[in-house]
Amino acid sequence: MTLLHFEVLGAALFCLGLYGVLARRSAVLVLMAVELMLNAVNVNLVAFAAYRGADHVTGLVIAIFVITIAAAEVALAMAIILRLFRTHGSVNLDEIDVLRG
Amino acid sequence: MEWAWLIPIYGFGAFGVIALMRENLPDRGRFLSVLAISAGFATFWFVLQDFLEHGVDQYHFTVEWFTAGRIDVALGIIVDPLTVIMLGLVTFVALAVQIYSLGYMAGDKRLPWYFGVHSLFAAAMLTLVLADNLLLLYFAWELVGLCSYFLIGHWYERRSAAEAAKKAFITTRIGDVGLLIGILLLVVNTGTFDTLEVLERVSHPAPGQELSNLLVTGSALLIFLGAMGKSAQFPLHVWLPDAMEGPTPVSALIHAATMVAAGVFLVARLFPLFEASGDALTAVALIGLITALVGASLALVSTDLKRILAYSTMSHLGFMMLALGAGGFTAAIFHLLTHGIAKASLFMAAGSVMHAMDGQTDIRRMGGLRRRMPLTAVAFTIGALALAGIPPLSAFWSKDEILIAVQKGLNPAYLIFFLLAIVLSALYMARATRLAFYGELSADAEHAHESPLVMVIPIAVLAGLSVVIGLLALPWGDTYDGIGSFLFLQEHGPHGFEVVAQWTVASIVLAGGGFAAGWWLYDRRRDLVDSIRIRFGALHRLVERKYYLDDAYQWAIDQVVLRASRGVAFFDRRAINDGGVDGAAASAMNAGRALRHHATGLFADYGVSMVLGVIGIGLFFWLRA
Repeated sequence: MTLLHFEVLGAALFCLGLYGVLARRSAVLVLMAVELMLNAVNVNLVAFAAYRGADHVTGLVIAIFVITIAAAEVALAMAIILRLFRTHGSVNLDEIDVLRG
Repeated sequence: MEWAWLIPIYGFGAFGVIALMRENLPDRGRFLSVLAISAGFATFWFVLQDFLEHGVDQYHFTVEWFTAGRIDVALGIIVDPLTVIMLGLVTFVALAVQIYSLGYMAGDKRLPWYFGVHSLFAAAMLTLVLADNLLLLYFAWELVGLCSYFLIGHWYERRSAAEAAKKAFITTRIGDVGLLIGILLLVVNTGTFDTLEVLERVSHPAPGQELSNLLVTGSALLIFLGAMGKSAQFPLHVWLPDAMEGPTPVSALIHAATMVAAGVFLVARLFPLFEASGDALTAVALIGLITALVGASLALVSTDLKRILAYSTMSHLGFMMLALGAGGFTAAIFHLLTHGIAKASLFMAAGSVMHAMDGQTDIRRMGGLRRRMPLTAVAFTIGALALAGIPPLSAFWSKDEILIAVQKGLNPAYLIFFLLAIVLSALYMARATRLAFYGELSADAEHAHESPLVMVIPIAVLAGLSVVIGLLALPWGDTYDGIGSFLFLQEHGPHGFEVVAQWTVASIVLAGGGFAAGWWLYDRRRDLVDSIRIRFGALHRLVERKYYLDDAYQWAIDQVVLRASRGVAFFDRRAINDGGVDGAAASAMNAGRALRHHATGLFADYGVSMVLGVIGIGLFFWLRA
């Protein structure tokens, strides 16, 4: 298990997440894809931290931060999605274009 | 003496209270207004006493007002003989007029406002005469003009009154523009607003700091333009006769003794400036002479009692300007004093007549009024004789001073025309007095009655004073050597009382002869008057139409001003508004309309743009590295 394996895993997860964000229509799935991207980054951070040795905990700390903020972000995003559903009766992002110029 | 600044403060205070409280004040504000001006008059006596104790000199009290850049503006007062005389005249006449107004304006629906503005006017005029710097002077000058506008237009429901108020304001504004430019020229070139310092710089410049002759003459002429507007000098006099639309006490105060005197005062205050530029002084004399003759001739044909007095005021203001132009500083201010008092009593007597005859001012419908209102008739006659220059009444003495000044200071042509103006002045005064008060009682005058005491007493006091005030010209006691030893230019020093027998005799003969001739013509030989009128029909029409000046101005306004304004308005609407303001707004909107299509509102589009943007930035840094 070298660093490279983790890098590939992180990149793969990130690309999956990106694909999900861009291609999915359901707001809930887009939110899940965003979570996936965040976790891809976390994998990278932890991997580099482990690679650099036990004295260097910066990566670990940042990963903890990312997890915390992701939790908060999910709460916020779920609230927004709920409001969307209330007002539009749907969470299909293709149908929601109130900001069109 | 340093408390002289209090004199205007009372009036400002009274105005503030009256303007805020209006009808809620006990006595509708009359008491407060009269109290304020009485306090001013009382303070004047303390100032005068203090002034005489300290010796006749120029005192200057000042505090810092504000500093802007390199220019310090102080707030201060000058107390010198000129100021003291003006203070006395203004407070006294204002007091008399306010008491008179108690009767004349009784029952007016805007009484509190009338008295409030009256107080404000007196305060502004007093500030004007006390001011030690050109900024404060200009401020007071404009305030005086504003109050005049309010008071002339007091009965603004009458269209003619509203028009007259506008005319007065705008005409004097034309002069005021000149005044402002003249003041600014002086300030920019001397670096101070302080009047005395400016004059010192003009007449005694430090070596290398001399002001150019062009600058001195130019600013003197521009300042004189302001004085011409306020003092109704030809050709800016057209507002004064129309201003008679205002209540008569207003005419007595503003258009006889105070505001119109402001122009003369201004030239007197800045006399060294005019003296430093000989040309400006000549212009003052010339304008004064023309005004004196034009005013006198107009007074001779007018049939409106108040307008006759207005034209007479104009003519006498011309006398004062002529005296100033001749270098007769003392003569001009002395005449200002005697004329102010006599003319105020004349105006108030005319107001008393209007009061008795339901606002009638046409002298052809009066006649024999002395039988119905003897006190008013006597007062008017005294005033008329005084102004005509019959000894020993007041204006005789001042006119004599002017005569001597003109004879000394100017070439004989001026003197001849001035003598002619004296004759005319006696002639129209005789005409007005005879037609209005003597002869057969006219039908319209049948029901006339003497005015209430509150009006008659101020008239009587002023008329009495116009009998004796001229005696100031004579030496009294050991210390007082005639007006010339009290009121003089420091530059020239005091001068004693002097009489040049030949000119005194000439003036008596001409004034007396003029008055007698006028009386005789209108008393016995009306047929002669009519035949003269027919004989010189063209001339009579010219004068009766006021030398077509009003028509010329109206033409200029219609054809030049309004046309130019329409052009400017068109430019404003099309170029500035449609092109500039609306155009800028429209182009912003069009740009927005064109650019709005990039925003689709779709989440995926924004996501793709974001990713592409990140990739782009990443590529940029990668390739650069």
